[in-house]
Amino acid sequence: MRLGKFKINHYINYMVIGALLLVLGGMTLAGNRFDNSLLFLLEKMAIGIILAVSLSLVVGFLGELSLGHAGFMCVGAYLGGKVASLLVPTMGNGLAAFAISLVVGAAAAAVCGIIIGIPALRLRGDYLAIVTLAFGEIVKTLFQNTSDESFGGTLGLDTPRYDKKYLFIIAFVLVLVTLAIVQNFIRSKHGRAVTAIRDNEIAAKATGINVTKYKLIAFITSAALAGVAGVLYSYSNYTVQSAKFDYNYSIEILVMVVLGGMGSINGAIVAAALITWLNTWLPTVLTGPMAVLQNLLYALILIVIVVYGNAPALKGFRDKYNLNALVNRFRKADPSHIHDDEAKWNVIPTKISMDEILSVDMTPQDKQEYGGDK
Amino acid sequence: MEIIFSTLINGLSLGGIYAMIALGYTMVYGIAKMLNFAHGDVIMIGGYLIYVFMATNNPLLAIILSVIGCMILGITIEKVAYKPLRGASPLAVLITAIGVSYLLQSLAQIIFGSATKMVTVYEFGAIKLFGTTIQVSALVTLGVTVAVMTLLTLFVKCTRLGRAMIAVSEDRAAAQLMGINVNAIITITFAIGSALAALAGLFYLLKAPAVSNTMGAMPGIKAFTAAVIGGIGSIPGAMLGGILLGVVESISYKITAIAPYTDAIEFSILIIILLVRPTGFLGKKRREKV
Amino acid sequence: MKTTRIIAIALCLTMCLGLLAGCGGKNDYTANNTEFVIGVSGPLTGGAAIYGTAVANAAQIAVDEINAAGGLNGVKFKFIAMDDKHDATLVSGNYSAMLEQGMQVSLGTVTTAPGMEFKNLAKDDNVFFLTPSATGDKIPEFDNGYQMCFADGNQGKVAAEFVNANFAGQTIGAFYKSDEDYSKGIFTQFMSSLDKSVTVVETSFTEAGATDFSTQIDTLKNCKFIFMPIYYQPATLFLTQAKDIFGADVVYYGCDGFDGIDSQEGFDINTIPQKVTMLSHFNSKATEGAAKEFIDKYVAKHGSDTLNQFGASAYDCVYAIYGAMKKAIDEGEKIDVTISASDLCDILKAQFSGGYTLTNGATGAEIKWESNGYVNKAAIQYIIKEANG
Repeated sequence: MRLGKFKINHYINYMVIGALLLVLGGMTLAGNRFDNSLLFLLEKMAIGIILAVSLSLVVGFLGELSLGHAGFMCVGAYLGGKVASLLVPTMGNGLAAFAISLVVGAAAAAVCGIIIGIPALRLRGDYLAIVTLAFGEIVKTLFQNTSDESFGGTLGLDTPRYDKKYLFIIAFVLVLVTLAIVQNFIRSKHGRAVTAIRDNEIAAKATGINVTKYKLIAFITSAALAGVAGVLYSYSNYTVQSAKFDYNYSIEILVMVVLGGMGSINGAIVAAALITWLNTWLPTVLTGPMAVLQNLLYALILIVIVVYGNAPALKGFRDKYNLNALVNRFRKADPSHIHDDEAKWNVIPTKISMDEILSVDMTPQDKQEYGGDK
Repeated sequence: MEIIFSTLINGLSLGGIYAMIALGYTMVYGIAKMLNFAHGDVIMIGGYLIYVFMATNNPLLAIILSVIGCMILGITIEKVAYKPLRGASPLAVLITAIGVSYLLQSLAQIIFGSATKMVTVYEFGAIKLFGTTIQVSALVTLGVTVAVMTLLTLFVKCTRLGRAMIAVSEDRAAAQLMGINVNAIITITFAIGSALAALAGLFYLLKAPAVSNTMGAMPGIKAFTAAVIGGIGSIPGAMLGGILLGVVESISYKITAIAPYTDAIEFSILIIILLVRPTGFLGKKRREKV
Repeated sequence: MKTTRIIAIALCLTMCLGLLAGCGGKNDYTANNTEFVIGVSGPLTGGAAIYGTAVANAAQIAVDEINAAGGLNGVKFKFIAMDDKHDATLVSGNYSAMLEQGMQVSLGTVTTAPGMEFKNLAKDDNVFFLTPSATGDKIPEFDNGYQMCFADGNQGKVAAEFVNANFAGQTIGAFYKSDEDYSKGIFTQFMSSLDKSVTVVETSFTEAGATDFSTQIDTLKNCKFIFMPIYYQPATLFLTQAKDIFGADVVYYGCDGFDGIDSQEGFDINTIPQKVTMLSHFNSKATEGAAKEFIDKYVAKHGSDTLNQFGASAYDCVYAIYGAMKKAIDEGEKIDVTISASDLCDILKAQFSGGYTLTNGATGAEIKWESNGYVNKAAIQYIIKEANG
């Protein structure tokens, strides 16, 4: 749908989140008091969305696999939280202290992004994945061994918590800011350069794109935004404990991005919200001895969704029974309908899958015998 | 001198275990081009299988059954979770592998409970060697690892099946055109990798007689690191990386001041090595094609 | 495409409205209670699941017993256990969910790390909690938090006093887990309370290397006394790996985390030639008294797999809360089934800081509390096993 140059699907996520923010924020400011569980859920969703959208920039658009996103968040959470705990006693727990912590946390994460990005981006694919994973584990270990006075060591850093009533408003404003940064970046000249690198690095180089520069920009932006999520995390909890930021957490963020559909910002948002909700909802229904079923359920859901969504054998089925197809069934067929050229980020193959397509024919042939002269 | 000797022996035997697990990672990566994140949990299942089959009171039988059980598990995982995704984005396969890992862990907790299970497979005792006391199990681990790796290298180099595996990892399409059944090769790779994981589980039990549902997670990550240090996809590389990581870990725990930072040190070594050699020690450089 | 988007927007808006409908902004969650609700957040899955499981099982046993005996003046108790996977992030969700399910009093968290989050949340709403096993020194920081277990610092201090008295001028070994607050907390306090004359050979391990201790054993092999402020699973592995390397005259000295070491299936403590001792409030091999009664009840219902001091402590916590409520009623306080968490908190605070004593508990014959929330009961040095020969 086009309204002149205004493409509505570029702005739909702002509109939905903005509407949510207006309604809930308006009600809060009007004196309504929500249940804490809802407020906590909203805060966690906002953190999850920022993380997923920022990781999507690296994984979905730059096409590099990062398993250390939680490490950048950890840096942001610790440094932002430390600054906050120093500032709040003198400045009060207000927006000013929050803003300063936010800047410090994001900057610290960005610096880590530079430090790890410059060497790591020389590496490719799975090697980059393991380096980022290693980075996350190193950060975790370093914070774990700090003294009680500096960053709290194993017990974690005590941080001030922002007023529960209002934090979710700030959190969702930050989600909108994140979306603005990431979407404007990927829809700009620079963003197209980044996707060009993803689709074919050598071709991109040949057209004069400064590959290193663009890779670094994407990587650092993503790290800084993870730092923002970290500061938000430190403000929504009373403690920041490094054990939280292990590779499992990085993987959880990656799961959000992949489930949402690689390179789809809206998908990442929905998946992040869904997974966060699932993580808070499952413990409430599966309590006591039933708790062991949580991980089983989570694992099964994960496997089924990914296999269903990606298995080449199910492609025909998927094309037939999806939301668009269902809707189209109720619509008058319009043979003259021509799709406009709106960016279909989700159908561009990633660099990794491109490599596969270029190098190997993956079609398995079942009836083949092994060996010629058996 | 004694300290150096004992630290080295401990490091080598730990490194042997890492190498054993890393081999599973590296072979699967080389042939199926995927990171099998559930590999560490196969170790855990192997441990539980030994625990179950030790009811027979026959260690050898328990070990054999555990290895067979893990091979069946590996093949099942490959057929059910990974095969439908062949041809899909590698990231989708990675996420499925993570899902399988969670699945195995929670199944183990449901079946065996959350308590650590103690199981003594066999007691080797300790001997005095060069003035220091050493666990015999460490020496056994080291010996078996060397033997298994020699056999594996010979298998890959000298048998038709082994050469077919190399061919598939070099170029899957060409191998298929040459009449190699790629599906069968991938299945065999998973079976071998899982058998090695079961052996690694056994060695963990020889060192420390305990099985828990999370026992495979961290060894899995460490071994993955080892595989990458050695050059992922390379069999001698996995051995080298595993041994190196084991020795480093042993030395690091030995020095009181840096012991708490051991994990950070191991992962830093990975980063440094990858900076100097971007594909690990023995990894092959992939040529870029336009 | 257009329709899809309109549908999507419509769905999102309905979702928002749905969210709004679900929140009334009320604070009297306990108004509809028909039972007193006790809640706990603990690791029921993941690596620390054994502790949470023990607490959940034992507290349920205590609640069932109290209910079978008629409850508190006819009002029954209900116990909720929610899973936090030993992760502080999940605590806020669990805590608010339990409050919204009518929780009036809590056992806090099972482990310390999530407890650091919990204590602040509970302080905000003025909810009383008595934790069975979160041993961190800072857990009872606020006036609404109490511990049933010994705080880490106290254990380290008591252990150091023992060493000062017996090993002055000698060399001892210490083995701790550097990335665990329990272990590091005790160890740090131990080291700072130790006499200068005692030399300590220290070595540590981390979660990642938690099964192979050959290097650490090698480091400690010349020590005759080894202080091990760690939990019993890694301790068991250490003991089995070290048994042939250390001489039979070595003494292991653990803290309350050692409890359970001799009741594991598949492990016979008598195969360890060395002497094993611990400083604890509970002995899962007790042969008499309330501890024995608890052990019998627990094993009959859940087996000995998850039997440990965490469960015993949780069992006592439920009885302590029940006893304090009963005492308050006897003293003329009014405790309805719909009493708010905050009101009940004030009553319980007054009781616990005012000298309330639990007698004949599984973890102590006489359990009292300091006004700062620390427990005051006898720490007993148990000899789990004498040296062979």
